[in-house]
Amino acid sequence: MVLADLGRKITSALKSLSNATIIDEDVLNSMLSEVCRALLEADVNIRLVKQLRENVKSVIDFEEMAGGLNKRKMIQTAVFKELVKLIDPGVKAWTPLKGKPNIIMFVGLQGSGKTTTCTKLAYHFQKKGWKSCLICADTFRAGAFDQLKQNATKARIPFYGSYTEVDPVLLAADGVEKFKNEGFEIIIVDTSGRHKQEDSLFEEMLQVSNAVNPDNVVFVMDASIGQACEAQSRAFKEKVDVASVIITKLDGHAKGGGALSAVAATKSPVIFIGTGEHIDDFEQFKTKPFVSKLLGMGDIEGLIDK
Amino acid sequence: VFNMFRGLVGSKSLTKEDMAPAMNKMQDHLIAKNVARDIAEKLCDSVSTKLEGKVMGTLSRVTSVIREGIEESLVQILSPRRRIDILRDAMEARSRGKPYSMVFCGVNGVGKSTNLAKICFWLVENGFSVLIAACDTFRAGAVEQLRTHTSHLNALHPAEKHDGRSPVQLYEKGYGKDAAGIAMEAIKYARDCHFDVVLIDTAGRMQDNEPLMRALSKLIKINQPELVLFVGEALVGNEAVDQLTKFNRALADHSDMDQPRLIDGIVLTKFDTIDDKVGAAISMTYTTGQPIVFVGTGQTYRDLRKLNVKAVVKALLKA
Ligand SMILES: Nc1nc2c(ncn2[C@@H]2O[C@H](COP(=O)(O)OP(=O)(O)OP(=O)(O)O)[C@@H](O)[C@H]2O)c(=O)[nH]1
Ligand SMILES: Nc1nc2c(ncn2[C@@H]2O[C@H](COP(=O)(O)OP(=O)(O)OP(=O)(O)O)[C@@H](O)[C@H]2O)c(=O)[nH]1
Ligand SMILES: [Mg+2]
Ligand SMILES: [Mg+2]
Repeated sequence: MVLADLGRKITSALKSLSNATIIDEDVLNSMLSEVCRALLEADVNIRLVKQLRENVKSVIDFEEMAGGLNKRKMIQTAVFKELVKLIDPGVKAWTPLKGKPNIIMFVGLQGSGKTTTCTKLAYHFQKKGWKSCLICADTFRAGAFDQLKQNATKARIPFYGSYTEVDPVLLAADGVEKFKNEGFEIIIVDTSGRHKQEDSLFEEMLQVSNAVNPDNVVFVMDASIGQACEAQSRAFKEKVDVASVIITKLDGHAKGGGALSAVAATKSPVIFIGTGEHIDDFEQFKTKPFVSKLLGMGDIEGLIDK
Repeated sequence: VFNMFRGLVGSKSLTKEDMAPAMNKMQDHLIAKNVARDIAEKLCDSVSTKLEGKVMGTLSRVTSVIREGIEESLVQILSPRRRIDILRDAMEARSRGKPYSMVFCGVNGVGKSTNLAKICFWLVENGFSVLIAACDTFRAGAVEQLRTHTSHLNALHPAEKHDGRSPVQLYEKGYGKDAAGIAMEAIKYARDCHFDVVLIDTAGRMQDNEPLMRALSKLIKINQPELVLFVGEALVGNEAVDQLTKFNRALADHSDMDQPRLIDGIVLTKFDTIDDKVGAAISMTYTTGQPIVFVGTGQTYRDLRKLNVKAVVKALLKA
């Protein structure tokens, strides 16, 4: 499972608390080092990791506290809470409305998996009986329209695009207009890959967004990304109204911790994960169950509400 | 008042304990610059060991001694022990009437095809004719992507300027076919039609995907290209280590040869997207000991550079 390795390491670090006879500052520090090490190996942003360490430490006052059990419980709860914070932005995931056009715009860095994932999402809804379609608004990348066309054709999803039109804003607007008129419910707009360092690309993204007025902007992130994720995600969020995250390529070895930084930076939940190149290598993602499964400790989740 | 003397060590020899606080900071700093955690730790440990016992002058500060030690190590890791001179080798191959072939491999979406096209542009600018072999027969649009590049490149370098022949041609057999076989046909075609260089594009694959890794090994084994380039993106975090280790291991394990062909060099792409978080360059070279042959710095044909070791080290150490 995704992040399973990370889950195991954290669980074993937390166990060290139960094994220790007295819990003093040394025990806490060594447990925290282990947790942080695991998080850093999974590419979680180093600032978030440091924050986690400080936050857990600030909860515990060794001078004032007595009683081993209480300390143990407090520390575990604090770690769990912090981990949940990494994955759970505390907002509800966007859901489409039946019988209405729902416009979903895909954005992200170059090669993160937008075009592949667009088809996966359209297919996911189509299988559930929604009228779905795809629009190629990537006029930059060589072969972009062919890629979307071949994917869509194989999945029998209606699509729109052009070999000659060079303006992505126009294409996106025309496509949305056309499919709206035809009564489509899930209208997905694929865009070119871009990065914050190139202003003109970010400006273009804003224009496409303004032209199609999306109900949901999906930020697609590659699971292998490292420390650069946070700054990129934040920049995307500042430019357009990112509301969901999809993490791709989790079929590999990557633990996806870097991509999780996108959750904090965009304050948006992960809604799906990509687990392969094929159209049904795609899983819905639910934050809460994921976290308790990840840590294999549903009992601790109970502690949070107390 | 006492703060003024913090970090000052008298004239005594340096111990690991003296260095630990500053070294830990250095390690975190490198991780923040996107050096893989494990490698940041190894690097700091080895510099600690090297500096241990060093006699310090009264005024030297531990932090600056550490910084110098780390800097030296970083330069060493990034400096190629072996030069790869593609233009010279391709020229040499041409004089023997043999096409010079290069394979581009790596995980999905890192920029193999795009940087292949940039390298093609660079070769054409240097007077070579190039055959592009479309051996990604899997990903939708992969063939059309290369066809588009081929026609763009030929538009930039019209046939009239190249003895009446377009300098770039695409060798493709559509989708679904065996990549190793297409590469072989392409190399033969290049020899028969006197192309100087063959650039072989391959499908992206995850390093843990056994069947796909096996297929890549086969392609390399039966075609024995002059150069095997691993394409990795500067965005990648800790995965860089695993990707390179496993690509190399797969090439070794599936080759049944005494001296298997491994990765000869690295193309580091998307260098324009990471600001000063340039640590992937360290993770990749540290893991393989192989040089970074090219750096991709954008999406146009001219966005291809040689690695600037000094600039990378400076970015890594910058606060
Ligand atoms: N293994 C694996 N590969 C994936 C996954 N999602 C996408 N890919 C692959 O990643 C590569 C890039 O995917 P694209 O969909 O072209 O990415 P993109 O974001 O549209 O790229 P640009 O349009 O160039 O920015 C392709 O080889 C895809 O097959 C996944 O979940 N797992
Ligand atoms: N900013 C930037 N983008 C790049 C660079 N190199 C490639 N890209 C972009 O990255 C995306 C993926 O590039 P491709 O060349 O299709 O990647 P690939 O490795 O061939 O992908 P697959 O064949 O699907 O595995 C495209 O949008 C490229 O334009 C670079 O150096 N900088
Ligand atoms: Mg795309
Ligand atoms: Mg490719």
